[in-house]
Amino acid sequence: MGITKKCVSLHVVFSKYQPMKRYLFPFLLLLLALTAAAQNPVIHDQFTADPTARVFGDRVYLYPSHDIFPPEGARQDWFCMADYHVFSSDNLTDWTDHGVIVTQNAVPWVRTDSYAMWAPDCVCRDGKYYFYFPAAPKDGRGFAVGVATADRPEGPFMCEPLPIAGISGIDPCVLIDNDGQAYIYWSGMGIRGARLKANMKELADPLQEIAMPRREGMPEMPPMKVGGEEMKGLPDGFKEGPFVFRRGDWYYLTFPWVRGETGEGKNPTETLAYAMSRSPLGPWDFKGIIMAEHANHCWTNHHSIVEFRGQWYLFYHHNDFSLRDDKRRSARIERITFSPDGTIGEVVPTMRGVGINRAASRIDVDRYSQASTGVVTAFVDSLQPFRSWHATLPTKGSWLRYADVDFTDVTDGYLVVCAKAADNTEFYVREKTAKGKVIAKIKMTVKSEVTRPGSPTPFRRDQSGQWLTLTSTIDYTPKGITDLVITNEGGAAVSIDWLQFKNRPKYFTPVGSAAAPAQPDPQGFIRRWSLMEPIAVDVRSNIVFTNSWLREQFDEKLASLPKSKAKWYNLDSENYNVKLFRFAEKYGRQTYGSFFWCETVIDCPEEIPDVRLAAGSNGASLWWLDGEEVLLLEGDRRMVEDDGVSRRLTLKKGRNVLRSAVINGPGLSDMCARFIDEQGNPITDFTILNSK
Amino acid sequence: MKRFHTLLAALAIAAAVNAQIGQPYIHDPSTIAECDGKYYTFGTGGGGLISDDGWSWHSGADRPGGGAAPDVMKLGDRYLCIYGATGGGLGGGHNGRILTMWNNTLDPKSPDFRWTTAVEVCSSDGMEDQDAIDPCLLLDPTTGRLWATYGTYFGTIRIIELDPATGYRVKGNVEKDIAIDCEATDLIFRDGWYYLLGTHGTCCDGVNSTYNIVVGRSRSVEGPYLDNVGRDMFHGGGRMVIAAGDRLYGPGHFGRTVIDEGVEIMSCHYEADLDQGGRSVLGLRPLLWRNGWPEAGDRFHGGTFAIESERRGYSLELIVDFVRQQQERRGWWGANTDEPVKALPNQQLSEVVDTWPEGDIPVRCGDYMMRPHQRWTVTPVSEKGGYLGGPWFRITIEGTDRALTATSDLELTTVPTFTGDDAQLWRIEQLVDGTFRLLPKTIPGRPDLNNADGLNVRYCLYSAADSTPTLAAYDFSSDNSKWRFRNH
Repeated sequence: MGITKKCVSLHVVFSKYQPMKRYLFPFLLLLLALTAAAQNPVIHDQFTADPTARVFGDRVYLYPSHDIFPPEGARQDWFCMADYHVFSSDNLTDWTDHGVIVTQNAVPWVRTDSYAMWAPDCVCRDGKYYFYFPAAPKDGRGFAVGVATADRPEGPFMCEPLPIAGISGIDPCVLIDNDGQAYIYWSGMGIRGARLKANMKELADPLQEIAMPRREGMPEMPPMKVGGEEMKGLPDGFKEGPFVFRRGDWYYLTFPWVRGETGEGKNPTETLAYAMSRSPLGPWDFKGIIMAEHANHCWTNHHSIVEFRGQWYLFYHHNDFSLRDDKRRSARIERITFSPDGTIGEVVPTMRGVGINRAASRIDVDRYSQASTGVVTAFVDSLQPFRSWHATLPTKGSWLRYADVDFTDVTDGYLVVCAKAADNTEFYVREKTAKGKVIAKIKMTVKSEVTRPGSPTPFRRDQSGQWLTLTSTIDYTPKGITDLVITNEGGAAVSIDWLQFKNRPKYFTPVGSAAAPAQPDPQGFIRRWSLMEPIAVDVRSNIVFTNSWLREQFDEKLASLPKSKAKWYNLDSENYNVKLFRFAEKYGRQTYGSFFWCETVIDCPEEIPDVRLAAGSNGASLWWLDGEEVLLLEGDRRMVEDDGVSRRLTLKKGRNVLRSAVINGPGLSDMCARFIDEQGNPITDFTILNSK
Repeated sequence: MKRFHTLLAALAIAAAVNAQIGQPYIHDPSTIAECDGKYYTFGTGGGGLISDDGWSWHSGADRPGGGAAPDVMKLGDRYLCIYGATGGGLGGGHNGRILTMWNNTLDPKSPDFRWTTAVEVCSSDGMEDQDAIDPCLLLDPTTGRLWATYGTYFGTIRIIELDPATGYRVKGNVEKDIAIDCEATDLIFRDGWYYLLGTHGTCCDGVNSTYNIVVGRSRSVEGPYLDNVGRDMFHGGGRMVIAAGDRLYGPGHFGRTVIDEGVEIMSCHYEADLDQGGRSVLGLRPLLWRNGWPEAGDRFHGGTFAIESERRGYSLELIVDFVRQQQERRGWWGANTDEPVKALPNQQLSEVVDTWPEGDIPVRCGDYMMRPHQRWTVTPVSEKGGYLGGPWFRITIEGTDRALTATSDLELTTVPTFTGDDAQLWRIEQLVDGTFRLLPKTIPGRPDLNNADGLNVRYCLYSAADSTPTLAAYDFSSDNSKWRFRNH
């Protein structure tokens, strides 16, 4: 039966599987470029279970299994994995997806519709990478473990034609000991371990024949050839997913373990547990748990432990992005510590994880380190969990703390934050604590209290409950790596999705009094100006700039200029157009409705006759050369190159003072000026001096 | 009294030549989209206009999300809508977001009508020199790539690339600044050139709004867009496409619609239509191309004209006896140069009309002699509605009710009295080269030649020979399809 488009639409509401498969993935591929995931889960655009992390060179490589939503016809409430991706990172914050390395359709011995590409491992020996993976063989039962090899950790991998003889099970893990001997561990009839040959593709020791237990109602099975030996000293209870590593003289066998009582009405779930030994194949001394059962009853956990730049990390998984279905899981990371006796400290799962965020990248602060009572997180869109979470600070005084944000790259920063609120409120971003130094104050006005008369109706909108990307100047820029705390300071709840500190573009460079004279740019534009801090003018529209009004304004301001105590700034503009609005923002207070005085000195080696001053300005402007008025740009003007020109002028040998006054109402005020010749070509053979 | 009549006449003309009729109140109309025989345009703030015929518009289109200046385009069998939410300064900041969403239909009454969840494709953060609103779409016909431009006076106009299959931003695409000093841009492609049309001036101030539309062009979609004097739109350049005029202020937010080969219209809004109380209304104008530059054609109001063939320059006329105009003749040699010069009147209808047959009179083309049988009065027939861009017109001999009509054998004749019959209603469209084509609303008695709606969209007034007009399939490449209206 075909699904019509309409059915799919309905599925969005009623089915948790179908719409994901069809809509979610393409959407999230887009998002990957936009989100840096320094927190848990680590990968934000797909499921990543059973994370095996390995350090090759200076990067961490992550080989998870790849949960997907089961296709039609497959068992809907079971694990479903068709292929493997590999990810890598050099900072545990930014992860690169290197794409699919092995798929069930391209392994000779794997049943193509089995969707059983379970927990893998990958190790490096003599420059070659060996990828071990369990899968359902075409002939035979249960699981076998195959090998694929590559010259690089991200592949391309070539699959061996047959699985490893003697391994009937899942969750392979390979340890290469300091003496070069390699061991493989797996889960199948308990946790087993065996020596590998130097070729890494075969067990070193002879296989044993084991009679298969008779199961009621099933035909009798022939005996099975099994390699390795069962690991001794482990506790009772279900165990799988062995991960063995060596630290100093200790070997650690770590494994998911069900410690709780089973039976009617009980459904204990997996912990992560470990045992230690002085030899790679045991016997083992059971030590306890590394991580307790997941609080939300996500049944599985599966992990790896790796040292990267002197710190040990636990990689594990949780069903963060699929809360109602614990067969779709996502990789997480926490730091782990060892006691002097070699035992491992118990690890508490966090949302924050381990990566350090650059303040200049988007930070999902909803994966906070700590928060006050009442702070809750929820999906931004429950139908599209990969769009991630937001955190709600319910009342005045609520706070959340997000650890490890690096401000090194923030020089001339401002804050961008995505937030929503049901009513007008305010929140602060602080450093370190809920009483810490205020970095930025964000006022959220989602309901207009006063509507401006004459403002067009489409813009008078209620923005309550809408996600808004807000910006704010910052009062204080922390140094180095620090913690951010967001505090609710207003009367209503506020929800935060993400925040980011961006650097302002550079508009001006201050010019020192000893600076060498400047040149006009290749198009002749004059970029060095003395600008006076802007003066307020009461204008709301550029259209009111009638000639007579402008004359009045210019005359009045000109008359008051000698008495003015306003500050002047000598600046080089980074752009051909001098962005007066940005100057006003940085060096004054008056941005809109402002009046600017601009002055510069044109120094000519020779007299240049028959030139015209060509200017454009937003809004109106008046221009003088050596005190003589030469150009008026009046009315509803925008900054257009060569919008108006003066009559023919002579630039005399030596210094010529060029002055302009620009008046602006609303909008991004700027101006540009150059001298052009009879043919409209720019004049560039002069230098520009500081006028003040 | 006479003055009163003049006033009435002026009002009658005004009523007949509105920018669009109905209730075409809109700001920033999206490019006209067609869906199941109806026309749609979406404006700022949400909602939009619907028209059954392209001339009479009413509200009723449905676009959620609010914000400013959407654009809508049919891609495959779906409609992609792009719009800006928040931003624009007036809502309290310049932090804008551009979103896209799909619908299977534009008809809000259809059971298939359902907008997909809108997806953000770009944004401005409120602090940068950019304001992510006012987006438009261009599907590049040469590459199949989908582009969007957006922005306002607050900084730059930017271009980004979208995936035409999904409406999402193309992964890794980096936005590029291509213009300043304008807003409500549109991007079009024609004949190897990309054209960026921006709205210059000030909006939202009623009859004092200075909005106008300027254009620059480029061989590359990502610019630079230069105007006719080589000035980059990134430095504020631009050549005028349309400004105020014709009792309409502040044209803004360009959209181009190609109706047929050589038949193009532009859509816009006028900030204020003096004939409609100074409201902001939808405008549709012929789009002309001169030397590779687009220009708005004038609205065709009708009037009295010679209808001159582009083929030979002969004029459409009744087949009636030529009536000599009386004139006192003197040989040039006998001219008395001292005699005062007296202007001679044109030949009057009353001098000749009695010589004309009473029933149907067929037509031909002949040398224009300023005679009554060659003078046609073209009048909008407001109550009959119209087509995309104009009302139906009747074409009658000046001073009479004798009307040009199509016949079932694809020929022409005139009937003594205009009855309002569809065969007597004409669709008059200015072509991109400034000439006109004329199509009768229907070919009478020939349902096989009309479209599903019973309209003729194929057969136009056509020069079968220099002297022989007929109805034949419109062909832009042939001057036989083209006519000029001249009042001289």
